[in-house]
Amino acid sequence: MTQGIRVAALDDIPEGEGVAIDKAITGTADDIALLRDTDGSVWALDDTCTHEDASLADGWVEDGYVECPLHSSKFCLKNGEVQGLPATRSTCPHRVEVRDGEVYLFPNQAP
Amino acid sequence: MRIVVAGGGVAGVSTVAALRAGGFDGDLTLVDAGEFPYDRPPLSKEYLAGSRELKQIALQPPHWYDEQGVRLINECTVAALHPADGTVELAGGLLLRADRVVLATGGGAARPPIPGVGGDRVHVLRTAEDADRLRAALTPGARVLVVGAGLIGAEVASTAVDLGCDVVLADPVATPLAAALGEDLAAWLHRLHARRGITTVRAGVASFAETTDGIEASFVGGAEASFAGGVEPRTFDVAGPGVAAEPSRVFDAVVLGVGMTPQTALAESAGLDVDRGVLVDAGQITSNPAVLAVGDGARTRQGPRVEHWEAARHDGARAAATILGTRAPAPTAPWFWTDRHGRHVEVAGHMETADEVIVRGSFDDPSFSVFGLRDGLVVAAAAVDDSTAVRAARRMIDRRVPADPARLSDPSASLRTLLRG
Repeated sequence: MTQGIRVAALDDIPEGEGVAIDKAITGTADDIALLRDTDGSVWALDDTCTHEDASLADGWVEDGYVECPLHSSKFCLKNGEVQGLPATRSTCPHRVEVRDGEVYLFPNQAP
Repeated sequence: MRIVVAGGGVAGVSTVAALRAGGFDGDLTLVDAGEFPYDRPPLSKEYLAGSRELKQIALQPPHWYDEQGVRLINECTVAALHPADGTVELAGGLLLRADRVVLATGGGAARPPIPGVGGDRVHVLRTAEDADRLRAALTPGARVLVVGAGLIGAEVASTAVDLGCDVVLADPVATPLAAALGEDLAAWLHRLHARRGITTVRAGVASFAETTDGIEASFVGGAEASFAGGVEPRTFDVAGPGVAAEPSRVFDAVVLGVGMTPQTALAESAGLDVDRGVLVDAGQITSNPAVLAVGDGARTRQGPRVEHWEAARHDGARAAATILGTRAPAPTAPWFWTDRHGRHVEVAGHMETADEVIVRGSFDDPSFSVFGLRDGLVVAAAAVDDSTAVRAARRMIDRRVPADPARLSDPSASLRTLLRG
């Protein structure tokens, strides 16, 4: 597991968007959203918004934050911290590495 | 500095949160009428349906207030402001010192002066207590009349039909929400009610009367004669001149969703300027510089009163910035959402100002959106189960990105790319 799980090719994730990785692959309690910021960097957070049942991978990724597609809750990509209502709880971040155009996920490890 | 915020809705809680987030380290008190501050949108949906409890719709978790150093005075209201003395008087007589006061008192559900409107079977929906009372009436098979097919009325009708009620939805307007959504989308949305088995009636209510069997509503301006016998879902539209006395029908419960009345009594008794809301400037300051007002009960002198959730949240952020002397967040296009019949609808901007409307996708698709343009710029968007389109549109509106109608109308063209120009 120290090498991480290869979960996507970098080109699979357009800037400003995300993809959900099934928890059956990651072994986590929740699916994990791989989110690519507008600067090209890739981040990973628990996929389910802490406010209501929506996938953050379907959200809008921009300038260090992901905005939930349902009611616009915002979470910091780096640490999962919530940025104001309607969500009140932060979400869990996971470590990601990009090597040779491949995205590797380290579930439940701090970024 | 000591600050008292009166009212724990989204505007009040946002004010408190933004003050602390912005570094305010003074004394902060939040006075709220409820058990604890909770979110209102679920009151017509999950909370009314019984699938979420009150504590699940708390605006902040219970420990948050301690963590933030906020004194929460619950199940209490502010009775009077004494700005000259620098005090706030609570119901019960307790006096709190306050250098600045933020009024976040919201409003109450409107009860139009219809004869019989005060009866026990007539409900409104503004608080959790209202929702509790209404839920008890929404039993399977209950005959329910919802008056008003705007956001609250439509959501209550949707929840009631989910709960197995026999629902009639009455509104004198042919196409509710047409100004906000555009005529075509509003008509499509309104038709969802009939598809779910709700009888929609284009009519108002002239009177209510208690009978041995329930509450009888007399309709005006609609409800054709077959109303009494028809049990199959159908839509009536017989409003017109010369239609006077109209049929009536008996219900087990009535829900009024006909708007709200801003709660301004506190402001008025404190001598603040009030005109269809507590009047505020761009920094949420009232006519007394020691008092600010936010949310549903406040109105800027320049514009109409806005009753949407996010507008209240922004008001709170602006009030906090004013108090802190920091720059307020830049205004963004207005935005609201509604959930009904399993469809999630979002609207951004001002559709009524559009001179051109572009449909992206088809009304038969699982998701689609409508863009309103004016002078070649996006001024509004409304989407069904396509939040990304509205996210993109809000940015197009705020940044005045030139719109390409051909790409906007093509569901396969990426709006994110379009936004980048």
